[in-house]
Amino acid sequence: MWQQIKEIYAYREMLKNLVAKELRARYKGSVLGFLWTFFNPLLVLVVYSVVFSFVMRVQLEHYSMFLFVGLLPWNYLATSAQMGVASIVAGGGLVKKTYFPREILPLSIVLANLVNYLLSLFILLPALLIVQIPLTIALLAFPVVLVAQTLLVTGLTLLLAAANVYFRDLEHITGVVMMAWFFFTPILYPLEMVPPELKGLFLFNPVVPVIKAYQDIFFYGQFPDWASLGSFAGGAMIFLVLSLTVFNRLQRNFAEVI
Amino acid sequence: MSIAVNVINLSKKFYLYQDRAQTLKERIIFWNRQKTEEFWALRDINLTVPKGATIGLIGRNGSGKSTLLKIISRILYPTAGEVRINGRVSTLLELGAGFHPDFTGRENIFLNASILGLSRKETERYLNEIIEFAELAEFIDHPVRNYSSGMYVRLGFSVAVHVDPDILLVDEVMAVGDLAFQKKCLEKINEFRRKGKTIIFVTHDMSLVQRICDYVAWLENGELKADGKAHEVVNKYLDLVATREEERMLRERQRGELQAETTAWKELGEGKKEPEKPPSEGGFFEGKAARWGNRQVEITMVKMLNQQGEECYSFECGQPVTIIMQYVMHKEVSDLVFGIGIFRDDNIHCYGSNTDIDRCQIEGYPPSGVVECQIQNLHLLEGRYFLDVAAHTKEGIPYDYWTKCLEFTVFSRIKDVGIARLEHRWVVQVN
Repeated sequence: MWQQIKEIYAYREMLKNLVAKELRARYKGSVLGFLWTFFNPLLVLVVYSVVFSFVMRVQLEHYSMFLFVGLLPWNYLATSAQMGVASIVAGGGLVKKTYFPREILPLSIVLANLVNYLLSLFILLPALLIVQIPLTIALLAFPVVLVAQTLLVTGLTLLLAAANVYFRDLEHITGVVMMAWFFFTPILYPLEMVPPELKGLFLFNPVVPVIKAYQDIFFYGQFPDWASLGSFAGGAMIFLVLSLTVFNRLQRNFAEVI
Repeated sequence: MSIAVNVINLSKKFYLYQDRAQTLKERIIFWNRQKTEEFWALRDINLTVPKGATIGLIGRNGSGKSTLLKIISRILYPTAGEVRINGRVSTLLELGAGFHPDFTGRENIFLNASILGLSRKETERYLNEIIEFAELAEFIDHPVRNYSSGMYVRLGFSVAVHVDPDILLVDEVMAVGDLAFQKKCLEKINEFRRKGKTIIFVTHDMSLVQRICDYVAWLENGELKADGKAHEVVNKYLDLVATREEERMLRERQRGELQAETTAWKELGEGKKEPEKPPSEGGFFEGKAARWGNRQVEITMVKMLNQQGEECYSFECGQPVTIIMQYVMHKEVSDLVFGIGIFRDDNIHCYGSNTDIDRCQIEGYPPSGVVECQIQNLHLLEGRYFLDVAAHTKEGIPYDYWTKCLEFTVFSRIKDVGIARLEHRWVVQVN
């Protein structure tokens, strides 16, 4: 495990380059180019605001902002998983022809999406101010929540990417599962809205504490529930270690199976 | 002697799937149809590569050369055994793997170099050298999408050789680019050798192997058939290839289609004994005669004669010399070429030619006879020389190849320097 991490660190330059490639290649050839990184969330926000303020009126005050606060970190997770699951198969040319720690491929996807998420904050924070939701000291908890979430996203993406080499259906299954997972996560609605008899179900959803924490620090302006966040981070850490171990085992045959 | 790469009891098994089920549906429906065949690509290979050595892997297609190279470079994982590596490895397996078409040449240099394990600082240090070596200064800021395939490969090679590895693995990539670039690649490889780097490379070009390899390992069906000094192993290998080739020709003849469409055999004698190192280092050239070939045509006697037709092994520069080769055909062959080669005692290949190169129209050799090579003026300078003679096919597959079969000396009254005397005169004119 330690050896594995050292090896990845030795190839950090490649990781950096792949992340840059991922970020720039996405909008390469389009007129606005990198600006799309900002336009995308902005346009999403505008659409939501119009729909939920004028068409489908939701009782919750600043509903579109509530939605936006939960949606951005969710996208970080979901996009990482969906792009990451195919990353090793897609990078087959490289895997078959050169040596590098294979973890680099899914990791570059996670980091690229992390950067995208951070950049989208440049839209989120001003938007919050505009609709007069106060930014409080609770923002200090943001890095902690982000790190905890990243542990989970990394573990999940590594595991999916490695398993997909041997079982290609995973690519399609991931898409469906992510959609279902989205609806069973309190992003479109606050957790309080869930009927009490179903609340037990949500205890098994690992991302609830994270999304809840983001809503706390951005939307409600309060510190997150440290106990549930802490247990989440602990679980995510164990999951990541497990994923790395499984990955290391599965990666031996990548070059022949792809 | 420290060791760069140590391959210990290495085996690699592949599973060949007749039709590998890739999806869940296929797996469920065809669960009992999974036909797997085991295939041992490598079996119990032991190989030690000393630091600073250049070693060639030879063998027929599918013999496991590339698999071995991929295991050494850690792309594939061995089924059994292990590989111990001492130093940084750079692999020239496929050039330009990892280029992004939309990025410029410059951006791709950084991307590619980092994939090969180079830091940004190191890449920056080599950047100009890389661009210059690839001869792409004009185009370096254009997207590689617009590059020709040659430019693509040049850039890939250029990056790969500037990674400054301790151990360089090369798989059959020398055949890329135009002739000038190939020459540059070879120079680069020689530079690596001078710097004491270890090189392992796979090729089918036997003359290249003999020119640049210290050692050769010959793989056959996943097993190490022979390894050792380059010329010894290559000779054994060529013997076997010649035998097989002959068998194949025979089969074809029986089928009535004598269309000798042979594989690209390089002229065997070409550049054969060019020294890459001073002779003191290579035990391989030290004046020992060697002989190989399938002896379907055998050279039974070789003599050198002077102007008077007397046997003689000491000549004055500029005198006529005749080389006589007596031969016997043990089997009737139609494709026969006789050749000679002259080497100075420091292994400089001074001259070589054969009846094919000289376009001699010889209609049917008698089953036994004498071939004379008459040299009008032996313009070699003073020194000690060796004579090679050979009978082989047009493609260079030897019937009888005899190196250093005779030794002779040349003396001269004029103490000019170099290898050969060029006919000349000096003239001074008033301006």
